[in-house]
Amino acid sequence: MEKGLGQVEGGAGDPAPARDEVLSLLRNGSGRRPRFDPGLAGGLRAWLEDGASDLVAARGDDAPPLFLGPRLMWGEPAPTAGPAVALESTPYSIELVRSCLVHTLFRQIVTTGEAGDPLNDALDALRVDPGRVDLVRQVEEMTTETRAALASSLTTHVTNLMNLTPRFESGWLPRTNDRVAIPLAGGRIVLSGVFDLLVGAPVPHTATLCALGLTTGGRWAQARTALHYLALLETLRSGTPPFRIALLHSAAGRFGVEDVLEEHLRSIVSHVAVRLSTLEPIDGVLHDRELVHV
Amino acid sequence: MSDASSPHVLTEELVGPLSPLTLEDRPAVLESVEWVPRVLADLAVPRPRRGSIRLTDHDVRTALAPPDHAGAAVLPFSWSARTTRRALGLIAVRSLVAAETRSPVAGVRVAIADAVRSARQGERPASSMDRWLAGLPPAGLAVVEAEAVTWATRLWCALDWGDLHDVPTIGRDHWWDSPHSSLLAIRSRAEVRSVGFDAEGSPFSVHLVVLGGPRRASVRSELSVLAMVEAQKGTHSLPPGRIIGWWPDSGHVVKVEVDRAAVAAGVEAVARTLARVEASAPPLKQAARVAV
Repeated sequence: MEKGLGQVEGGAGDPAPARDEVLSLLRNGSGRRPRFDPGLAGGLRAWLEDGASDLVAARGDDAPPLFLGPRLMWGEPAPTAGPAVALESTPYSIELVRSCLVHTLFRQIVTTGEAGDPLNDALDALRVDPGRVDLVRQVEEMTTETRAALASSLTTHVTNLMNLTPRFESGWLPRTNDRVAIPLAGGRIVLSGVFDLLVGAPVPHTATLCALGLTTGGRWAQARTALHYLALLETLRSGTPPFRIALLHSAAGRFGVEDVLEEHLRSIVSHVAVRLSTLEPIDGVLHDRELVHV
Repeated sequence: MSDASSPHVLTEELVGPLSPLTLEDRPAVLESVEWVPRVLADLAVPRPRRGSIRLTDHDVRTALAPPDHAGAAVLPFSWSARTTRRALGLIAVRSLVAAETRSPVAGVRVAIADAVRSARQGERPASSMDRWLAGLPPAGLAVVEAEAVTWATRLWCALDWGDLHDVPTIGRDHWWDSPHSSLLAIRSRAEVRSVGFDAEGSPFSVHLVVLGGPRRASVRSELSVLAMVEAQKGTHSLPPGRIIGWWPDSGHVVKVEVDRAAVAAGVEAVARTLARVEASAPPLKQAARVAV
């Protein structure tokens, strides 16, 4: 692949839709799917189990399961972001609100290929989820100015997503919000995450899936790390990593595509193992809603 | 528990030969129709202000869950993208297995269109889910479709369907009605039901259950309730062979072969669940009839 997630590609103003190039990059050379050692996943898991052992011992047998998402990687205090979380009775930050709405619109675009009025569509979609009642209410109670600013920014995100998001044939088996949850230490620690979009059918020992991630305004490097984290979880789930990953930046209209290499997995598993071994047992209070899905 | 990291492995886990011990236990399993109904009828005694009990996997899971997991299970039921995904996803997978559609996306779209048409045009009786779907705006329907497509795709990619004998049954619940007490019925929920064969070529039934939530120590007891129900039906259908619980989130599987111990564990799980029902006031919800 000549493109990489370290590079950032064309925006909404290009004459040809960037989604054609994203699709082309995902398909390029797809007849030469790499095969992976069947023992790879077992080795990666053993590495993580080692990293988790001290933390599990320190937290004790009676501690509830500790759910850790990609934010584990950069050690930010929960619960600042992530489309599925907020503390009860704590208002969502405007960044989190925007992220939730844009992720919802991304699902709609993948599913239907279109979006109408972005704010109305996003709210209509979120009303289908009883877990989003608070978020919907918060948006409904915004001042006219705040709501207009939010609607305006959503229009920018949606315009970019319409330009960036490939229209996958149904035979590619596109599925959104595919959750992965890998238990360690007999379920005392759960590494979890959500693929914004997966395409392809799994084939044993052969990398066949493509994963697309969406970032709504965070740092590119962090979003890339989060995708590598998800690639690691997929390796642990199915035995084989995704073949290729793409990152779409809905605020800037940028994208990047790269192959998943064994060195990516070894790097990220090393990073996760170190983070696990350095988490303080007191971090156990960060279980449940706070770290789930971040 | 183990990992089923490919469709071939999961399919083999599902339909592969039974252990010799399970085969040895089969007469005892089939004879359990003599004693299990009486034991369960004794448990389902009439109580003031309580009608009949229709026990579901949701009730069993809730009753057996450790305290720190129980909170999530008590939300009142309402239709949502999450609670419709299984029903719509099963219709989609059924249509794929029957070669009526060619992708989960197509199958889910047909399922939603049929549901909305039923509610609006009355071509067939509309369910409450149909009516709820018919009232959604396009963006709401889109997220329902997206959620169901993901659910269906995960199941569709999980098995080597060509390796299953004959056409599997997709998502048909089995209900066991107590012959001694009109107060008790128990549901056996499985997403895929098929047939396995032992070394002598004799068939037995196999059942794949899609699991959600965290891995939990009680899952074997939950699946044992299915084993018990299938054992009660085994005298007038295929002898029961195996229950496989599968977590799509992690790829983990837990296997319960229908032997004497599994039937006893199922009875015990029902007893504990009924005790929980008894202890709860108001009665353990009529909610959450749809597994998510």
